[in-house]
Amino acid sequence: MRLTPGAARDIDPDRVDLFDLDLYTAGDPHPVWDAMRAKAPLHHQVLADGREFWSVTRHEDVCRVLGSHQEFTSERGTVVTHLGVDDVAAGKLMTSTDPPRHTQVRRAIGSRLTARAVAPWEDRIRQAIVRFLEPALDGTVFDLAEQALRLPAIVTGPLLGIPERDWDELVQLTAMVTAPSDPHFRQGSEAATLAISHHELVAYVTAWVKQRRAAGGEDTSLLDHLMSVRAGEAPLTDEEIALNGYSILLGANVTTPHTVSGTVLALVERPEQFEKAQADPSLVPNLVEEGLRWTSAACNFMRYAVGDTRIGGGTVPAGGAVVAWIGSANRDAAQFTDPHTFDITRTGAKRQVAFGFGSHFCIGAPLARMTLRVFFEELLQRCGSIEVAGEPEHLRSYFIAGMTHLPIVVQKRRTP
Amino acid sequence: MESRPRAHRQGGHHEATEAHAGSDGAPEALVHEVCALWAEHLPGREVGADDDFFALGGNSLTGIAIIDQVKRDHGVELSVRDFYLAQTPARVAALIERGRR
Repeated sequence: MRLTPGAARDIDPDRVDLFDLDLYTAGDPHPVWDAMRAKAPLHHQVLADGREFWSVTRHEDVCRVLGSHQEFTSERGTVVTHLGVDDVAAGKLMTSTDPPRHTQVRRAIGSRLTARAVAPWEDRIRQAIVRFLEPALDGTVFDLAEQALRLPAIVTGPLLGIPERDWDELVQLTAMVTAPSDPHFRQGSEAATLAISHHELVAYVTAWVKQRRAAGGEDTSLLDHLMSVRAGEAPLTDEEIALNGYSILLGANVTTPHTVSGTVLALVERPEQFEKAQADPSLVPNLVEEGLRWTSAACNFMRYAVGDTRIGGGTVPAGGAVVAWIGSANRDAAQFTDPHTFDITRTGAKRQVAFGFGSHFCIGAPLARMTLRVFFEELLQRCGSIEVAGEPEHLRSYFIAGMTHLPIVVQKRRTP
Repeated sequence: MESRPRAHRQGGHHEATEAHAGSDGAPEALVHEVCALWAEHLPGREVGADDDFFALGGNSLTGIAIIDQVKRDHGVELSVRDFYLAQTPARVAALIERGRR
């Protein structure tokens, strides 16, 4: 989807179709969300097949829906692609589990993903990123969006314990989960694409576990940690290992590439920001926060109202699906001055909710932040200038905001 | 549609009895078996030979269980992609039949 909104339009929130995939591929969602925040902070849409959902778009309401499990449960599914179909993995998959069980599992898995725990990986990640950038520096056209899809696998593959030969297939499968209607990833129908990718990813982790058990011993990988960890006095069940392994693979792969591409495009479109960042590398951590806010790769997450719930000036009935639009919350003027301005020196950029909010806050955030910081440190140090060498193409998804193509041409930096 | 086998979950009882070969060459008995197997994994659903897996409420966890069962019952390891793209018991039966050859 376009990250810089086009000309202002008069939008009637009652006529907005948030399930129209063309809106995200070729359209311009930001003016739509602006209108929703202003005129319909609790928005209701009924689909042609009768399914319905409510949307919240203001920063404050998005945080409440994502953060208050007593009011909004995750146990019936959290991804809008599955609206109306109860999550088969509820209570077993961490993202589809409420506290207290969620807290037990989260604590156990998260201990290996804290900023302190991932810090020793920085040198390896830097080496991987330098290798990733090499082909971009030879002056020919480099499709950043396409290549960036492989970046998380390159960076986190060794940490997760995934051998290099499997990366390409896993990248393809995780992309299918997030954009089952995108012609780059679709296999047959949307439903078939989702089922194939879910199935093969869960089967991959299951086979991996079986192989590790047969081999015996332990390594230091995150998937190995899933096998040995104890959550609430007991180890995870095989099903929990498979589903959470799947979830970690998914989380690692599908968002960071789009933050990379979208942030690079924002910098290329704003040479003064690019120059500012190049002149002062200490701005990179804030550039990363602004890039996360700007791109909001995980565009939304869903919850279901536990009881009749007042929010955004209206009421969601008990059992109603509520979509919390992260992409919109991150452009809420109540929280961010001039929200549609990309500013790497913005104060308060860290209030962005690109990683979510509350107990389901992205477990991989410290690793993602470090990866993005190292990526932009290396990019700015190596690239003198970047030009866009063709039309960017946007991902056909209402769940992940991203690009499938971003051809760029890089001039090497002469004076580091 | 009406002449194709239908199976209920209860006891795998087969409603249709007339001989009918699957359109892709799978024997009718095998199509019956596949319908019955799906019905076991899709509680409360009546499964016809040409019914769509996803319309019946099938998902990847159902698919994993069904593919495992086919492997145990028929010694045929179905390709995950082929299974979901086939999408109906008749076509899945044809895949099993081809896998046996």
